[in-house]
Amino acid sequence: MSFETPDFSLALPEIWLLGAICVVLIVDLFVRGSRRSVTFFLTQAVLLVTAALAITTQWGVTETTFSGHYVVDPLAAMLKATLALLVVLALAYTRPYLEARGLLQGEVYLLALFATLGMLIIASGGSLLTLYLGLEMLSLSLYALVAYHRDSRQAAEAAMKYFVLGALASGILLYGMSMVYGGAASLELAVIAEAAASEEPPLLLLFGMSFMLVGVAFKLGAAPFHAWVPDVYQGAPTPVTLFISTAPKVAAVALFLRLLVDGLGPLHETLQPMLLILAAVSLLLGNLTAIMQTNLKRMLAYSGIAHAGFIVLALAAGTEAGHAAALFYVIAYGIMAAGAFGLIIVLSSAGTEAEQIADYRGLNERHPILAGVLLLLMISMTGIPGTIGFYAKYLVLKAAVEADLIAMAVLAVIAAVIGAFYYLRVLKVAYFDRPEVPPEGSQKPTGPNEGSVGEGEGATPSRPDGAAGTVLVPGASLPIRALLVVNGAAVLVLGIFPERLIALCQSVLGAG
Amino acid sequence: MIETLLWHSAKIWAVLIPLFVAVAYYTYVERRVIGHMQDRRGPNRVGYRGLLQPIADALKLLFKEITIPSQANRVLFLIAPTMAIMPALAAWAVVPFGEGLAVADINAGVLYILAMTSLGIYGLLLAGWASNSKYALFGTMRASAQIVSYEIALGFALVGVLMAAGTMNLGGIVEAQAGPFWEWFWLPLLPLFIVYWISGVAETNRAPFDIAEGESEIVAGFHVEYSGMAFAIFFLAEYANMLLISLLAAIFFFGGWYSPFEGIPVLGPAFDWVPGTVWVLLKAAFFAFCYLWFRATFPRYRYDQLMRLGWKVLIPVTVVWLVVLTGLIYAGIGPWF
Amino acid sequence: MLENYLPVLMFIIVGLVFGALPLIAGFVLGPRRPHPEKQAPYECGFEAFEDSRMKFDVRYYLVALLFILFDLEIAFLFPWAVVLEDIGLFGIAAMGLFVGLLVIGLLYEWQKGALEWE
Repeated sequence: MSFETPDFSLALPEIWLLGAICVVLIVDLFVRGSRRSVTFFLTQAVLLVTAALAITTQWGVTETTFSGHYVVDPLAAMLKATLALLVVLALAYTRPYLEARGLLQGEVYLLALFATLGMLIIASGGSLLTLYLGLEMLSLSLYALVAYHRDSRQAAEAAMKYFVLGALASGILLYGMSMVYGGAASLELAVIAEAAASEEPPLLLLFGMSFMLVGVAFKLGAAPFHAWVPDVYQGAPTPVTLFISTAPKVAAVALFLRLLVDGLGPLHETLQPMLLILAAVSLLLGNLTAIMQTNLKRMLAYSGIAHAGFIVLALAAGTEAGHAAALFYVIAYGIMAAGAFGLIIVLSSAGTEAEQIADYRGLNERHPILAGVLLLLMISMTGIPGTIGFYAKYLVLKAAVEADLIAMAVLAVIAAVIGAFYYLRVLKVAYFDRPEVPPEGSQKPTGPNEGSVGEGEGATPSRPDGAAGTVLVPGASLPIRALLVVNGAAVLVLGIFPERLIALCQSVLGAG
Repeated sequence: MIETLLWHSAKIWAVLIPLFVAVAYYTYVERRVIGHMQDRRGPNRVGYRGLLQPIADALKLLFKEITIPSQANRVLFLIAPTMAIMPALAAWAVVPFGEGLAVADINAGVLYILAMTSLGIYGLLLAGWASNSKYALFGTMRASAQIVSYEIALGFALVGVLMAAGTMNLGGIVEAQAGPFWEWFWLPLLPLFIVYWISGVAETNRAPFDIAEGESEIVAGFHVEYSGMAFAIFFLAEYANMLLISLLAAIFFFGGWYSPFEGIPVLGPAFDWVPGTVWVLLKAAFFAFCYLWFRATFPRYRYDQLMRLGWKVLIPVTVVWLVVLTGLIYAGIGPWF
Repeated sequence: MLENYLPVLMFIIVGLVFGALPLIAGFVLGPRRPHPEKQAPYECGFEAFEDSRMKFDVRYYLVALLFILFDLEIAFLFPWAVVLEDIGLFGIAAMGLFVGLLVIGLLYEWQKGALEWE
């Protein structure tokens, strides 16, 4: 009996992360009460080391191991570092919020770590098997995270919807994979690509590709596979929403790049129309529905669908520049979404949830700095020059035009203009509306924290005078606010000096 | 083809008929032995010293009405006893009663045994569910949780046996123990043997782990609604399983058909005339006796104690011992491997 | 090889027959006098006042989940144990990793109180 011993050293980031998860899990089991923060800091340290490992051991290496199931290339290294850092950013916001609501338990961080491990595996997936493994690891952790606030009916409902729909999407994806496996007679993406590049690719491959696209679109939250997005974004505890809207989106793009570019890239001509439909529906539906929302979390969910439309459009271009644009866009979106949900976290306190747009009336007068961050984030999401959001949209449109998708590019611009309406409306509320309002605009506290109002310390701290709950008392401590400001500044700084990030995205995808 | 079928049938009957006799008289022995342990006489009226008692019992059950509760799921209710007895009997297919004396000498013997004993739980689940009676359902839930918990410990213990023997063939496992009694697996695998035996008792829902039946709390557990022959089948299955666990203890840990004095200068040849089958059955009889002994001796476990023993004592013990065993085997340490 | 399994199949069939035959005999030989009281579910002398298929303690489900995990582990361990001497350190390390992860899981369950039955 002989084995070809795989080269474990190539998979060092994942191996390290898995080992570290076990350690964190054990440590978390034996720390109690107020020392819970140990888990948090350990988690962050673990993730930082993971990012460092990904850069030091995998950057510039192009190899496969585990019999082709595991790929290391610049894209993998870059994705892994990005994913780990995004998770660090996302988790950094979580602690005070959870602590204030008595939700601070090690499981949040452990699940996030497991999800990260899944995402790293996706980033390095060289076969259908590894990709599916990573995806399930990610998804299952996310379902549990959404349901994390057990006493909240909204969260439970959101988790249930997410789980049922997610399981369905996974099933469809798996079904597609089985067809591709049948058509190409191999799980390995490199072999599948060869089969797809042949003169007459098997019909099974085309069928399988369509099914797999459904699964990927679901994970990306692109319409018409977006049904879970609004409910999950609104129902999940805000830190979890923040987490879901950052790194897993990047992972979804990674999944697309591995599965449908590395594997089935030669079939792009067949794939393109489907992607265009996805993009058009997402752009229109996302932006139009977002206008009607009064709940900021829900509005951001629909805006996320619209952003997914842009990402899909970039992918539909099918060129290396398009892929790079998608990658850049999703990273930019991650940073912006982290800031937006971070702002909600900062403005929420134990008894209140700053999730109604109406809650932001007069924010500028009370917290000019936070209002400034809001301004930056919103104009970046709109895509106004000087912010990272502008370059993201610019690159996507450029790639689309270069790929002769001019009509779609025009549609995207129109959609972006529609989108500007609701982003700017938030700013109008924050800057020009007065905080004194009639009581009908104040159905607060609503949302997932219904249950914790009574048991929160001293109950409802946020209802001083007759202002009936519209006064937001930032519950977050100074470091978190500083982080938020840094996050906002990053949007601006990366918007002014985007070249390095763009160049990085292009170089790992072999463009420019 | 016909000859093969006939030959196999003959072998099957050669196992089954003694098995039925053994089960019947095991119930008799149980009542006598426990009677004497408790300073009573036990059944002694039917036939010489009560020897015909099991036959009388069987006839009585045969002529009893089989009631089917009005709310029961009739089909499942009637399938359940069959599902319970089938694996209890079929597991005997691979048991060797001597060198090469097995109905089916298959290489995946241990897997097959484990598969069959696991299947037995379906009969029990179906019975409890189909009865649509609270006591039956309680008994079923308790029994299934208990059985699955102890099955893990049992499985781990058997992994140790496989590691030491290097084969899943039951005959091969016995042959790996060739030698005098101190070379049998019970000594190097002592913790695993203890875990095996405790789990085996729990698997068959026998005292002191018989809370699934727990007559003082839930009447008779999963078969509370069964009467007549339907009840008799469950009874039969339980005793067949007990005998199986006893016999397997002899095979896995006590050298099967080997004489305890094998290879000892004077004693060894002195016992050469005893056939191997006798040794197997003697060893099995001892463990079967232990079942009765335990029942007469130990008070019943409480449910939480039971689950704690399974998950927090037996499973960790087996895992640790498997690690030790792996180390020993890899390093080639110890006189046994 | 496969013909070794023929007696096993036959044994299973015989086992099924032995489940069915006594039942049939019981129905043929035994009396059959149904009565509503006799066929009511047993309930300590009460009338059964609700359906007996009720909600169950979540711990039973937990045990079922744990069982699936560990039973799979055993299913992997069986073939591994048989070829232990041929697979060398690599095989031992691989299984060590696998069992190690499960042991950590068990520890987690234990510490979180999933194994408490009070």
